[in-house]
Order: sequence, then structure tokens, then C-alpha cells
Amino acid sequence: MSTVVVTDRKCVEQALEIRPGLTLMQTITDAGITDLLALCGGVCSCATCHVYVEGSAASALAPMSEDESCLLDGSGHRRSNSRLSCQIRMSPALDGLRVTIAPED
Amino acid sequence: MTAQAFTERDYFTDPAVLLDPYGYFEEMRPRGPVCQLQTHDCLLVTGYEECLEVLRNPIDFSSLNSLASSAFPLPFKPEGSDISAQLEAHRDRYVGGNLVVTYDDERHNNVRYLVSRMFTPSRLKANEAFMRDYAGQLVGKVVAKGRCELVTEVATPYVTMVIADLLGVPPEDRVLFEQQIAQGQTVGSIENPDSPTDMSVLEFMGGHFARYLQARAENPGHDLLSELVTIAYPDGCRPDLIELISLAVFMFAAGQDTSAKLLGNSMRYIVDTPGLQQQLRDDRQLIPWMLEEVLRLEGSTKATHRVARRDTHIGNVKVPAGKAVIVALAAGNRDPRRWGEDASEFKLKRPGIREHIAFGRGAHTCAGAPLARAEVATILNSFFDLTSDIAISEATHGKRGARRYQFEPSFIIRGLDNLHLELQGR
Repeated sequence: MSTVVVTDRKCVEQALEIRPGLTLMQTITDAGITDLLALCGGVCSCATCHVYVEGSAASALAPMSEDESCLLDGSGHRRSNSRLSCQIRMSPALDGLRVTIAPED
Repeated sequence: MTAQAFTERDYFTDPAVLLDPYGYFEEMRPRGPVCQLQTHDCLLVTGYEECLEVLRNPIDFSSLNSLASSAFPLPFKPEGSDISAQLEAHRDRYVGGNLVVTYDDERHNNVRYLVSRMFTPSRLKANEAFMRDYAGQLVGKVVAKGRCELVTEVATPYVTMVIADLLGVPPEDRVLFEQQIAQGQTVGSIENPDSPTDMSVLEFMGGHFARYLQARAENPGHDLLSELVTIAYPDGCRPDLIELISLAVFMFAAGQDTSAKLLGNSMRYIVDTPGLQQQLRDDRQLIPWMLEEVLRLEGSTKATHRVARRDTHIGNVKVPAGKAVIVALAAGNRDPRRWGEDASEFKLKRPGIREHIAFGRGAHTCAGAPLARAEVATILNSFFDLTSDIAISEATHGKRGARRYQFEPSFIIRGLDNLHLELQGR
């Protein structure tokens, strides 16, 4: 089973199964992790599903769009490995990806 | 208190509930954040956290009845603790069962993926000049007259034109659709309890959209319809034409009434909240804050609906498979446990305001929310640019504090049927 490892804001780690076709944001919220507000519902219009990505699988991620980058600019917690989890589509190539939910803005 | 006061009012048909749904929700709130109605076999969820719990749980709750509503019993006898397959088998018995708003699971994920790139910041920015110009024209015309009926003269033509321009609907057909929508029955009509939601307007538009999509497939442009005919599902498969027609028609129609109502509701607060109009004129940066608070207090959707497809629970209330649930967004948005004792008051820059649920939450969050915010903010700026004062007509609506308004006769939509304004030009 391919998984991503998600660390929530209380530093609790969970391995979540990769279901191709879903976004990382859906994967996290479907698992009952409520840290992600994901206010816009995944239409790349807010930055409330902000995560940090790490691990070798991060190199398999599709590059970010200009919209995603502009939205992340609005966060006070942007880092070089910041992404919006609604823009990451799950695939087996992401097996082992480590994801940390960014602090709330 | 008399025995009369304990009689539960009918959310779906009572004209007094239509006028003041918030009073009804406050009447029901003491029965708990999740309560069984006496008038219908369904649950009413008024608690903010409980609304979120349902909206974020698409596994246990189907959206199949989101348009049909919780007013009707299941069209079959539920069997067992998981009725997912039975619900799907009866999809054609639900009004709007072929629209994305009622989809579940993979079908919903697929179509949602198509929508997810439609109203991005860059797309809206590209459309901003059109919105600003058209808003300026419409507002300029009514300011020259010194008065207007906001809903029909400004709000409706404006939102129709904005979405038509984004999608690429030919100009000559826009007025035709506007007329059809205006003549059609509202969604969730309290005046037609046996058939509160009628799809004939969408069906009429479907024929036109089939032609547009076919034309775009042969000769793509830069509009959203062109994007729809080239986009694929996440697995690379292409949606069929019927799915695209249904999606395009839904995107065109769904946002119109709700966005137009948001403009009407906002204008009412701007004029009727003491000092607010001047505050916004002095600092336009406050407009988005005002809009969020209006969305919380008086968003355009009062309630959405779900049906439990598995035995589950909301909070500590057990919910059997097959139970319909009214998710009262408007009640969750005024829940004192979430918003404090001043939950029913207008307050600019309320802490945590962006967490209101006027646009829902979770997988079915309104995808057009960014468009609604942008178009209403744009036209409000035009009103402030071109007027020195906006007043609500006392002749039509009475004096402040004793206004008389008519609301769209819907148990889903919250918004003014009309709003007569007096406009002082610069």
C-alpha cells in the first residue's frame, strides 16, 4: 500500500493511504484530520490547506502554478517547501511523501 | 408561555418562517444542535460544529437530496445499515440528480476536478476589467435616474452578464436566459410544496449549451466553455457531452440568483447599519470584511440537505441510514457557541469570520464563491464611486427599524425579491 505520512499541528503522525485521483487535501480531511480549514473546498482560492512537503517523493510533485504561488505569498508561514494540498493530486509516485500541516495564519 | 408557542412551525411552507428564518432557528436551537422535526421525518442541524461534521463527512452523508430537500421521504424502503447502492439506484427519482451538486464519491471527485480550475485568482483577474466596466455602466445609468430597483435593474443583469462573459455565452442569448431564469420557479419554492424545485429552465438552457460546447470543440477560444471541452478527469478519461452540458448549465445558473441576492443583502446592511455606509466610503479595504459578515449573518443559502447513507451519528445523536438532514447553514452561522452571545449582531472584522459556512464546507463547498465575492465587491465599489449617498426608499420599504421587505419564496435561498434605492450622485 502506498502512503503519505502526515504530521498534524499537535505533532501526531499518521500514514494515509494514497488513493489516486484524490487531492492531498481530500486525503487529509477524509482521514478526519481537522487542522486543514480548506475553506474554498479545493478550488485554489485561499491558502487554508497550506502544508510543507519533504522526502524524496517531493521531487515527483507537479510544479506549482502562479495562482498557487501568489496565494502562498499571502501566508506568514511560507517556506521553500510550502504547497497548497488541494493542488497536489495523489499518485503512487508520491509513496513516502512526508507532509506537515503549516501553522494557521 | 401558551401551548401555541410550543407548536412547531413548518420550515418548508410557513410564510412567517420565510420572513424570519433566523427567529425559527432560534426557536429550535434549545432542542439541541441536532433535533428531530415534528413536521417532517428529518433532522434539523442548527449547531455550527454539527453542521461542519455533516458537511465534512461525505462518506456517511450523501448529497443526493441537496436540491430535492429533506421534505420528502425516501423513494424506496431502506434496507440495512448501508443504503449507498439503493440511493444510487434511485438517483433518477431525485430532482437535480444529474447535477454536480448532488453527486457523491468518484463521480463527484471527477466533475469537481473540472470545476476546480474555473474560478482561480488569475482567471478572475483577467475578467476584472469586464466586471468593472459593466458595473460602471449599469450603476451609472441608475444613478443618473436617481433611483432604482436593485435586484431587477442592476443585480440580475450584472451577474448574468459576468458569468456569461466568463463562460463565453454569446451576447444575443444572454438576455434570453435572463428572462427564462426570471420567469422560472425559485429553487425550493415554499409556494409549490409538491414540487418545490423545477428543472425546466435548466433543461431549456441545456439545448443551447450543447450547441456552444460542440462549436467550441470544433473551434476553441479562451473562455471556460472552451476549457471544458479540452479538460480531462484526473485519470485522463474525457467527460461525455451530457456531463459537460449539465455542468456548464449548472455553473451558469447556480451562481446567478445567489450572487444577485448577496448584492441585495449587502446593500441592505450597508444602508441600515448605522455608520456603515460612511465607514466603507472612507475605507474601501473594509468591503471584503463587510461581505464576510453579511455572508455569515444573511448568506444567500439558508440550508442545504443531506441523507445518511450509512448508520452514523452527528455529535452524540444516532442517525440511521436513510434519515434526511437539513444542514441549516444560516443557523450554524449564528450559533452563539461558535460566534459568542453577539452572534446575531453585525460586527466588522469579527474574529474568525472567514470560517463561516455560508458557502458550505468540505467537498461540496461552493466553487463559485471567489467569483461571487469578486463581482459583488466590484459593483459595490462602483456604487461608492458614483454616489455620495445611498438610501432605501421609505415609500416602498418604510423607515429604518420598521422596514418591510419581500423575500424570495424559497426554503433554500435567502434574499430580497426587490430593493428600492434612492441614489444621490456625486
